[in-house]
Order: sequence, then structure tokens, then C-alpha cells
Amino acid sequence: MPVPVVATRGLARRYGYRPVLRDVSLELYAGQALLLVGPNGAGKTTLIRVLAGLLRPSAGTVERHAPAGLVGHDAMLYPVLTAAENLRFFARLYGGDCLSRVEPLLERIGLADRAHDRVATFSRGMTQRLGIARALLHAPTLLLLDEPLSGLDDKNRQLVLALLTALRDDGAALLVVSHQLEGFAGVASHMARLADTKLGPVVALDGRDPSAVFRELGA
Amino acid sequence: MTPIDRAFRLARWGGVVTGAALLGVAGVYVRALVYTPVERFQGPAQKIFYIHVPSAWGALLGFAVTGVLSILYLWVKDRRIDIAAAASAEVGVALSVVLLTTGPIWGKPIWGTWWTWDARLTSTLFLFLLFVGYLVMRGVVVDPGLRSRFSAVIGVMGLVLIPFIHLTVYMFRTLHPAPIVLKPSKPSLPGEMLVTLLTSVAVFTVVYLGFLTQRYALGLIRDLREREAAGDA
Amino acid sequence: MVGLVRAATVIALKDLSLELRTKTAFASGLVFAVLVLAILFFSRDPTAVASRDIAPGALWVTFTFASILGLNRAFVLEHEQRAMDAILLAPIPRSAIFWGKFAGNLVFVGTIEAVSIPLFVVFYDVAVWPYLPSLLLVIALATVAFVAVGTLFSAIAVRTQYAEMMLPLLLLPFLVPPLVGGVQLTARVLDGRPLSDLGGWLRLIGGFDLAFVTLAALLFPVVLED
Repeated sequence: MPVPVVATRGLARRYGYRPVLRDVSLELYAGQALLLVGPNGAGKTTLIRVLAGLLRPSAGTVERHAPAGLVGHDAMLYPVLTAAENLRFFARLYGGDCLSRVEPLLERIGLADRAHDRVATFSRGMTQRLGIARALLHAPTLLLLDEPLSGLDDKNRQLVLALLTALRDDGAALLVVSHQLEGFAGVASHMARLADTKLGPVVALDGRDPSAVFRELGA
Repeated sequence: MTPIDRAFRLARWGGVVTGAALLGVAGVYVRALVYTPVERFQGPAQKIFYIHVPSAWGALLGFAVTGVLSILYLWVKDRRIDIAAAASAEVGVALSVVLLTTGPIWGKPIWGTWWTWDARLTSTLFLFLLFVGYLVMRGVVVDPGLRSRFSAVIGVMGLVLIPFIHLTVYMFRTLHPAPIVLKPSKPSLPGEMLVTLLTSVAVFTVVYLGFLTQRYALGLIRDLREREAAGDA
Repeated sequence: MVGLVRAATVIALKDLSLELRTKTAFASGLVFAVLVLAILFFSRDPTAVASRDIAPGALWVTFTFASILGLNRAFVLEHEQRAMDAILLAPIPRSAIFWGKFAGNLVFVGTIEAVSIPLFVVFYDVAVWPYLPSLLLVIALATVAFVAVGTLFSAIAVRTQYAEMMLPLLLLPFLVPPLVGGVQLTARVLDGRPLSDLGGWLRLIGGFDLAFVTLAALLFPVVLED
């Protein structure tokens, strides 16, 4: 019986008094990639932040055995520092052998030649890739991504999708929130819809295209 | 009985207490003006003391209660404690306004100046400003959870600040005496005046409690309405 | 788990390299300090009050406003691209963030003060050389107080709608004891009084430092919690 990378039971979260999430129960295993869809304001970002441990649940439990990697809406980087400086700063905070991963990660996201340029000079796509590298510094077994493709051109979209596929194949569990379903066919293994604070059924894609499965989710 | 009904009932009770207390204030003034002798040196101006001193007591009580409730909030994390702390700060600020206006009105004829950087007056001024900041902060933080925690942090910090401010102003004044016409050293009050003053302090404590109950009840009602509006009954 | 001291050092060094990289905050803080020193010089009747008489006050008003300016930006940088979230995800004790920010702010404010002092000497024609160690001690004590409370409150202010206005409003009442103490001590030190004469004020600021550095460090995690 494999142990889930992350599991929630009866998870709820309020913003002020407004419920943003209600009774969310979810299990995610190594090698799974869950594509989470749903209308704006449904609570997707909140779910990601709770799973990451940035927000405390108002009710219910989150079980996570190792720190998660988070790719948020914002890059979570310092624009005036260079790519390498950003990664080295966060690597030092994570400790261990994270510092030794900085060079290979820059190589992996294709930014090795721009390592010593300030992030402020980067395009949206490059910043996004660097944000993913930042999230991977501590080699997390769970990677949470909030709209990782938004604002990216074709080339960058392909780069990010290829990176996610590789991570999933390496045994990481992925949770991706995205409006764009296009391109996720080879990446996502499961799909679910979060609407009006509630999580719908998690459907296995079994190689099907996410847009074909969309109707099954109770939309 | 729903929580909101209970809050409304509490507000009505607060209103009754406040009403009685304000009648008490009127009674104190009848006593102060008619039955209490005129102070020999200060003349009729001294009568303002029966409102000035008790409001100072009420204001300090309000701020101290806010500080203590802030500590309690950080411990228990119950939103009602936060609402009560804010209500107490509001009453403290209101009574500080009474204190800081009656002070100069009395000071002008007696000390010959509207304002003097007397230790007690100055301490109250800074505490007043601190708690105005506390209330302003509450107005610009939207998330109730965040608002409660920030308030509690400032409340605890404020409680610790009180002795430091007082010590600072005291040390400043003793080393540089302010030019004052008449020293504010309090003459030992004759019996009649003392009774009036103590009665007034008691009455103002009830004013504080009445205001506090009303503001607290209103805070509860607002909170419950916010909850209802958010669809989280 | 990365240790407290190590994590705090990493954060402080990052903040300082951000400053060194842009220099805008530092440059504007410094220009601001010069402006306040210069303007306060004219805030007197030159025929009645010597500039030396208002010098201690001018120095501390300058330090106060320059500190507020510097403290305001400490957390703004973190929220620009939500880098604070990435720090919060790291396996470090939350209080390390306080100590890191505290140390970074101390260096930032201290540097502005260090550069202002020679200007102060020139503008106000005061002799500080013989009293420099005592003066530096006084400045260090009061600056610790400014920065401790300021670091805590700027973390609060940055999450309100009017950060630039909220910080001075919340912070200034707390600066009264170190500010008044700083002025009193500076005046006496510049008069050539030995520190041993000034125990009262030194104890006041020292006690303030002790109480509020502890309190700010304890309360800081409460501010970050979500």
C-alpha cells in the first residue's frame, strides 16, 4: 500500500468569514500529476497555498511528509538579483545539499547562459522557468503549480510542459492548476474540478485528452 | 434565542447602564456645583476636576483592559476577546478626548496656559495617539483574522510601552521644569470635595462599563452580520 | 532544518546585497537625512538660539525620520513578487526572519546615521571628536530600539492598505522613549558630561531595548501566521 505524498481530509478554509474551500478530501501519490480546473475564485489558489503549508486550514487535516515546492502566480524572486543569486539565496535557506543543485537546475531550465543577469531583465517565460527552478531547489516530492503556463509563448510552454513531464516520470507528485488544458495531454494523469469551494471527483485520464474529459467532471 | 438576538439584548442592557451612568454624571454635577464648596484658590474652575480626573481614570482603565485582553487573545484566539479589546480602546480614546479637552480648559485660568508638558498630561497624549493608531490600523485591514492578530500585537506592545512613556516624560520634566504659573501639586482635598470626586470616579467607571458593553455588543452584531453575509452561519 | 543564526544571516546578507545592488533606498535615505538636517537648521531664530542648542534635537529628528523611511521598504521588497512566501516555505524557524530583517535594518539605518554624523558636525559646528565613543554608544542604544519596534511594525504595515502612512502612525509613539532619551543623552555628552553621570537615561533606553527587542522577536511569528 503506497503512502500518499499529500493527503487532506475534510479540509476547509475561510477568508475572513467567507468559505473558500469546503470539505476537500484529496490524495496524491508519487508519479501522479493532477490537473485541477475550475472557474476563477473557486478556491484553487487557496487549496495550493494550504497544501504548501502557507495557509493554515480552518478545519480538517493536511498530511504532507516533506516540504512542497511551490510555483505561484508571482515568481517569488527578487528582480534586482541575478538568477544565480536568487537560487543561491533560497538554496542556503533550505540548507543541506541544495546549493549544489543551483548549477544543474539553471542548466536544466536552459538559463545557464543568463545565470548572471538580473531577473528584472528576463522575459515572462524565463522568469517563470526560474521560478520553477526555485521551487525544485530542495528536490521536493510534491510540486504545486498555480497557472504555470499563463503568459507564456509557445516555446516556453513546451519547455515548461516537458520539464513537468520529466519531473512526474522521476516520481514526483504534481498538482497543477491551469485554465489552459491544451498541452497537458501527455503530462496530467488525473483531472478534477474545483468549483464553488468544493472539489469534484478525481478522474483518471488514462491517456485521454483533458479537454475531452472536461465534461465528465460535472462542469 | 439566536446569537444576534443575544447581542442586541446585550446592546440594550449596555444602553440602560450608560443611561443610568449619564444620569449619575448629572447627579455628580448637581452635587459638585450646589453642595460642594468652591475651592479657595482656584475658584469655580476647579469644578471641572470632577469630570477631568474620572475621565482620566476611565481612559487609562480602557487602555489597560485593551492591553490585557490583547495578551489573552494571543493565548485563547477567540474573536470575541478581540472585539472586546477594540471596544475598550474605543472607549479609552473617547474618554481621552474628554480628558485632553477639559485639561486645557482648566489649565488656562489656573496655570495660565492651555497646554503644559506635565508628565501625566503628556503620557496621556501619547497613549491617546497610540490607541488612535490602533483603531486606524483596524480600519485598514480587511481580513478579520489578520486584523485581530495585528491588533493584539499592538495592544501587547502598548501595554509594555505605558510605563516607559511615563518614565520618559517624568524624567524629562523633573530635569527641565516647565514654566507654570501654579504648581500642579494636588492639595489634599477637603472631605466634601473628596466625596464628590470619588463618587464621580465611581460613576465614570459605570460610564466606561456602559459604553464598553454597547460597543462590544455592536462589534458582535457587526461580526455576526459579516458572517451571515459571507454565507457561513 | 537550517539553524536560526545561519538563516538570519542569510536573510540579512540578502537584504544588504539588494540594497547594494539598487542603492536607491540608501541614496534617498541619505539625501533625506541631509535635507532634514539642513531644514532644521533654519527652524530657529538665529538671533536668539544658537544652532548648537538645537543640534541634539535636530540629530535625533533626522535619525527618526530617516529610520522610518528605511524601515518602510524592508518588507515591501518581500511582497513585490511574493518572495516572502518562498522564505516562509523554507525549513527555518520563523523568528529567524525577524532576526535577519532586524540585522539588515540595523546595518541600513546605522550606515545612514554614520554618514549623517560628519554632516551634522559640519552643519551645526559641534565638536564630537573628544566624545565620539560615548556618542556612538548612545546612538547604538537608541537605534536598536528604533529598529526592533520598526521591524515588527513594518511587517504589519506592509499588509495594510496604506503602508507608508501606517508605519509612522504606529511607530512614533513607541519611539518617544528612545528619541527623548537620545536627545537628552546627546546634549549632555556633547557638553562633556561623562557617561557615569547619565545612568538614568542610559538605563531607560537599555531597559527599553531589552523589553522591546524580546517582545518584537516573540510577537513577530504571530504577524506572519496565516
